[in-house]
Amino acid sequence: MKAKEGVVNLLNKILTADLTAINQYFVHAKMCENWGYERLHHKVRERSIDEMKDADELIDHILYLEGVPNVQRMNTVQVGENVPEQFKADLKAEQEMLTLLNEGVVHCTKAGDFTTRHMLEDMTKDVDAHIDWIETQQELIEQVGLENYLSEQIHKEG
Amino acid sequence: MKAKEGVLDLLYKVVTLELTAVHHYLLHASMCDNWGYERLHHEYHERMTEETTHVSKVIDHVLYLEGEPDVQKIGAVSSGQGVEDLFNADLKLEQEDVKLLRDAIAHCAKVGDFATRHLLEEMVVDSEEHVDWFETQLRTIKQVGVENYLGEQIKK
Repeated sequence: MKAKEGVVNLLNKILTADLTAINQYFVHAKMCENWGYERLHHKVRERSIDEMKDADELIDHILYLEGVPNVQRMNTVQVGENVPEQFKADLKAEQEMLTLLNEGVVHCTKAGDFTTRHMLEDMTKDVDAHIDWIETQQELIEQVGLENYLSEQIHKEG
Repeated sequence: MKAKEGVLDLLYKVVTLELTAVHHYLLHASMCDNWGYERLHHEYHERMTEETTHVSKVIDHVLYLEGEPDVQKIGAVSSGQGVEDLFNADLKLEQEDVKLLRDAIAHCAKVGDFATRHLLEEMVVDSEEHVDWFETQLRTIKQVGVENYLGEQIKK
């Protein structure tokens, strides 16, 4: 089905942000593992997989709309040198993603493309959950101190 | 552990190439799905998972060698108008991959880094299998004709 005006362009922008996030989370997860923070390794790796599923969905949807998915482009991957810096970089990326998704939702409403809007709304929920999680970690670090926080990350949950 | 000379630079190149392959297969899997070729969609998806595992292992190893993995860069991702275009582009990429891995293996042997060499040797086995698979598909197309070939890709 042919896309409404501007929708494919928008989806490609979101795809770029998603592909960037996959790599950012992936490398952060690996760094946590290398530092010995098993719990964080596990959590952050899950995020990377979440983003990959989103990218998969976006590409499928762009093709359905007879557009050309752009998997060539990536934004800057912000790599944090330590755990708090990683959180800061990830939070920024998620907030940018949220802005992009919100713009997308508004645009799709205006253009009358409600299936795309629905998909973007689902993604917004995930982004919200990610932001919430990162903010919680930052708050925890503030309250218990970085050293206590990090020592709790050595073992995986469950 | 500190890396031997030249090893990290080679591993960085491997990361870039493997990431490019992930993007290739991610796109090609979706394209085949969109065209209705369930079997190919499935095959591409599996390749993508394998390449992701490779990236994962190489990044782990780079960090162990106290390097900084670069996940920013990816090479050119080709798309195409049909399945044959995809196969040709993928074959080219896998051939580049095999060449890079072989060069890296030879280098590791020279500087005496046998752990890295072992890791790369495992990866080159997968890459050669990928080359073989794409060559087989292209040869089958030549032998049975593209329409017959594609007809067989509709069901998984």
